[in-house]
Amino acid sequence: MSLLSLVTGLGALGAAAAYFAAGPERFWANWLLWQLLLLSAGLGSLFLVALEHLTDARWSIPLRRTAERTAGLLAPASAAMLAGLFALPVLYPWAHPGAALMPHGAAKSAWLSAPFFSARVVLCSALWLLAWRLLAGGSLEQDKTKAPALSVLARRFAPFFMALFALSVTTAAFDWLSSLEPEWYSDILGVYFFAGIFLAGLASVTLLAVHLIGAGRLPGVRFDHVYNLGGFLFAFTVFWSYIAFAQYLLMWYAHLPEEVFWYQRRLEGPWRTAALALAVFHFLIPFFALIPRDAKGDLPRLRWVAILLLGAHFLDLYWLIFPVLGPDPLFSWPEVSFALFFIGAALLWIRRSLAQGADMPIGDPRLEEGLAFRL
Amino acid sequence: MAPEATLSPASLDERVLSAAERKPPAAWWLALAAAASCMSLGFALMAYTLYMGIGAWGNNRPVVWAFDIINFVFWIGIGHAGTLISAILLLFRARWRNAISRTAEAMTLFAVVCAGLFPLIHLGRPWINFWLFPYPNQRGLWPNFRSPLIWDVFAVSTYFSVSLLFWYLGLVPDIASMRERARPGLRKLVLTVLSLGWRGEASHWRHYEKAYLLLAGLATGLVLSVHSVVSFDFAVSLVPGWHMTIFPPYFVAGAIFSGFAMVVLVLSVVRRTMRLEDIITPHHLEMMNKVILATSCLMAYSYLVEGFTAWYSMNPYLHHIFKQYLWGTYGWTGWTAIFCNCLIPQLFWSSRLRRSAPVMLFVAVAVLIGMWFERFVIIVISLHQDFLPSSWHLYEPTLVDYGILLGSFGLFFTLVLLFARLLPVIATTEMKAHLPREDAHA
Amino acid sequence: MLKRPAAVLGLFESPRALLSAIELLRARGRWSLEAYTPYPVPGAEAALGLKRSPLAAMVLIMGSLGALTAYLFQWWMNSVDYPIVVGGKPVDAWQAYVPVLFEVTVLFAAFTAGLGMLLLLNRLPDFRHPLLSSKSAAALTRDKFGLALEPAEGPFDAGAAEAALREVGAEAVEVLNQPAPPAPVKPRTLLLLAAGGALACLAAGLGTYWTLKLFPALPPMSHMLEHPKLVPQKPSAFFKDGRGMQAGVPGTMARGRLPYPCKTEACASRLANPLPRAAEVLRKGRKAFDTSCAVCHGALANGRPLLSEAYGAKPADLQSSRFLSMEDGRIYHTLMTGKSAMPSFASSLTDDERWSLAHYLRALQRAQHAEDEDLR
Repeated sequence: MSLLSLVTGLGALGAAAAYFAAGPERFWANWLLWQLLLLSAGLGSLFLVALEHLTDARWSIPLRRTAERTAGLLAPASAAMLAGLFALPVLYPWAHPGAALMPHGAAKSAWLSAPFFSARVVLCSALWLLAWRLLAGGSLEQDKTKAPALSVLARRFAPFFMALFALSVTTAAFDWLSSLEPEWYSDILGVYFFAGIFLAGLASVTLLAVHLIGAGRLPGVRFDHVYNLGGFLFAFTVFWSYIAFAQYLLMWYAHLPEEVFWYQRRLEGPWRTAALALAVFHFLIPFFALIPRDAKGDLPRLRWVAILLLGAHFLDLYWLIFPVLGPDPLFSWPEVSFALFFIGAALLWIRRSLAQGADMPIGDPRLEEGLAFRL
Repeated sequence: MAPEATLSPASLDERVLSAAERKPPAAWWLALAAAASCMSLGFALMAYTLYMGIGAWGNNRPVVWAFDIINFVFWIGIGHAGTLISAILLLFRARWRNAISRTAEAMTLFAVVCAGLFPLIHLGRPWINFWLFPYPNQRGLWPNFRSPLIWDVFAVSTYFSVSLLFWYLGLVPDIASMRERARPGLRKLVLTVLSLGWRGEASHWRHYEKAYLLLAGLATGLVLSVHSVVSFDFAVSLVPGWHMTIFPPYFVAGAIFSGFAMVVLVLSVVRRTMRLEDIITPHHLEMMNKVILATSCLMAYSYLVEGFTAWYSMNPYLHHIFKQYLWGTYGWTGWTAIFCNCLIPQLFWSSRLRRSAPVMLFVAVAVLIGMWFERFVIIVISLHQDFLPSSWHLYEPTLVDYGILLGSFGLFFTLVLLFARLLPVIATTEMKAHLPREDAHA
Repeated sequence: MLKRPAAVLGLFESPRALLSAIELLRARGRWSLEAYTPYPVPGAEAALGLKRSPLAAMVLIMGSLGALTAYLFQWWMNSVDYPIVVGGKPVDAWQAYVPVLFEVTVLFAAFTAGLGMLLLLNRLPDFRHPLLSSKSAAALTRDKFGLALEPAEGPFDAGAAEAALREVGAEAVEVLNQPAPPAPVKPRTLLLLAAGGALACLAAGLGTYWTLKLFPALPPMSHMLEHPKLVPQKPSAFFKDGRGMQAGVPGTMARGRLPYPCKTEACASRLANPLPRAAEVLRKGRKAFDTSCAVCHGALANGRPLLSEAYGAKPADLQSSRFLSMEDGRIYHTLMTGKSAMPSFASSLTDDERWSLAHYLRALQRAQHAEDEDLR
């Protein structure tokens, strides 16, 4: 039994203990956070794969297998989400046993009802897993068959995936995050969640790619390829900040009671510190770290920026979810246990997938072209 | 790309730069006459508006913003395509932008000129527009920087100056080529001054390329910010249907969408009339049509999310105004917007239709119409029934409104036509750098 | 005048030929090299040994400066020099300053990138460079690649440079001459220029003067000012009696203005204050007092005005015994009708405000004449 499994097991024990010692509310809030973090890493990577197929990008072909591997986190994420359905009566006011008479009408009560909610979760997960099977599984199969038809198929499928992806991510954002406070609404939330997801996916891919390059498993991948990942990280750091600030500015300015309470809860008292930390770690540091041209292809720097961005995404989800538990941020051993368990499990999962197939899509007929890519 | 293989740097210069040296054909004069007539009509009606006051238009409470702001948002949106093509696609190294970037950038400038006119005349007393700028004055007043209208002033003027700079920077080496082709005389003198004596020194190119990349990065942020600021004009308010958090990215997507439609429209005419079919190839147009399709899907997404959130909010005012969008007096404009923006561009899923010239023209025109009506929906319908039913009022544009709208198209096409004859419509320097050579990638 | 060679220019067919020539000639080290190309040739910088452009750092610095400038000027103008509350936001709300901050940052950065490149780093415009008058300029901006050799130091042997260029494969070689130094300006030309400038200034000044004289304060578009409207204190043709202001229709009254029955103080002294002595009422009365009365009667109602001695009038000391025993109704009456120098407050205060004022005055009086039990 390796150290990693040991740590994961320890985390699992701590998390189980948290259910009884710290109460189900805190347990499920942690669970919700980590299921969404896993989902972000997996779905963001899958989006990158689909984007590469859609735009027919060449630079990314040598790195595509890496993205397909981190996209594999979708499987544990989906499992976690199905288990997460048990959080409904605990965390979500509309699913509380006595919540039959919510102020909103019957139609919204039907939308926010446990059966319909569960159906949406299952449908979205099925869609993502299917897409992963088609894109990543097809690529693995291509290693053996070398059939160009599989590339064509992926390319044809990518635009349809994009459309369904947009709808499913928005649904997930409204369901898992927004409906924690069912009176609140913001139509940019889907885009906000997407920006976070894609950034987390990019960061996971970068992290794994830097690791594999360091281990010498990606021969031929040069500054030119990694530079693009760095550029994407930079661009989407800015994009996330733009979306986050746009939502905040509009709600702050209009100051409508049905919207602004959401921000009040997250900007007053100790939560203000969390919001400021978000601005620093999710925007300022990565932004200035990645501004210089050489930084975007500098492996050590990319490694810490990617870790920082994953941490910032954790903070983002924490800041979105935990204020519903109370006015004071909760962070002690239950949170640490959950982190150990989920990070350990994710790393175990990734390690397993590192043993499957080649490290580059060797069956892709355009791999040579991709390796020859110059800025 | 196979069609470009026959081009050489010299023949490219000959083909593109010589247009400015020949006498324009009769068709060009006819088109210019038509465009300039519309433009003159528009300017005459603007002068009439200044004399009579805003009462010459159909605007009245509660619809105090109407054609003026619709046209402003419409034109500023058109302007976004140029910056997108020149900046973002440069950063993404999409080579197909080279052939179209120059014309697209020029259109950006012209569209921003058209757009800038509207807020100016809608001020009612435009001769005191300098009050919008922060300058020390004896009244001891400063503009209110918490007003999105002041943000607009800064955003639009920054956008215009940076786009102008970007465009000019790209033109400098091309003008230097034109200068060397010109015979001694006034034309040569003007071109010499405009080219700043550019001589293509290697040490100059090194700074030049860096500047171009930096400007591209800056312009990318700018292009996002400008239409976001335009959307703030609406979204920071409390008007149901305006206060939507998705407005900033949704306005940007819409701007790119309509801008690309205009670029496709203009380029498909330019390449035919100026015989540039082998430089601006169907491949280029197809790529643009793909962007139109993608942004059309983004528009559909935005409509869907807006509608869903309006319902999900359970806010009676939002429910009411969204019903008005589709089933009110002006409901037909809402359906037009949906039909033209979300449905018609779906034709581009077929690669055959993407490459067909008539289909392209049809879709481009439909998108322009649809996007204009979308702004009508947002502005007029949201305003005409506000919180107080006793002040509800229908809006009806006057002939002056229509005339000024026509005039803005006249102004735009006049400028486009002049540009097509006076300056190189293709960025020849950039094209040359990417022409296939025998010793390329040696 | 003898032409002096400044450099020798060789033309090459392709970027590759140019790069290999640069490599060969740089190795010899006798000349400083400069390449002229129709478009940026990848690798030329490295081959010529040029340093990296400092532009990015310049842009970063100027961009930060732009951000700082924008924030400071907005903060100073809207939070310090002319603070106004908009939309219930704090006067130093930074959120609203972000959009303009962003735009100004981009503006500074973009102008540094564009103009800094052209004017500062590349030293353009430059119309006197020898290349511009060379025969090869046309080819160099079209499709040929030029390499110019200049002496690194000492006298220039143009012949050797020419030979070296041909040796490394130049198709054509041309000697670039030093630009002729500008001819010295003659005093007569200077005088003429000065006289012309003075004349132009005079013409512009006189033109402006006469324009303003002939068309004084011409309103640009007066149409909007000329619509029919009511002008105070001016007759109006709209009503039959020619007056602008009309008396109320008999038997009607304006909203919020009840008719006041009393003509005398005696009548008024019988009126009872309809308002309770509540904190809310006192607050309202205090506001009315501070707005309308304090300026003359003083904040403590002791007849010491807030105005300077130059004011001259002697406002009543409301703390005197006469006013301590005055009924609320008479205070109300004085406010309605005014007294000697004091104007009527019938139109500037509402009914409620006048009665609240009476209550507040009582509170002021009690405060100045406090008894022992009040302090307990």
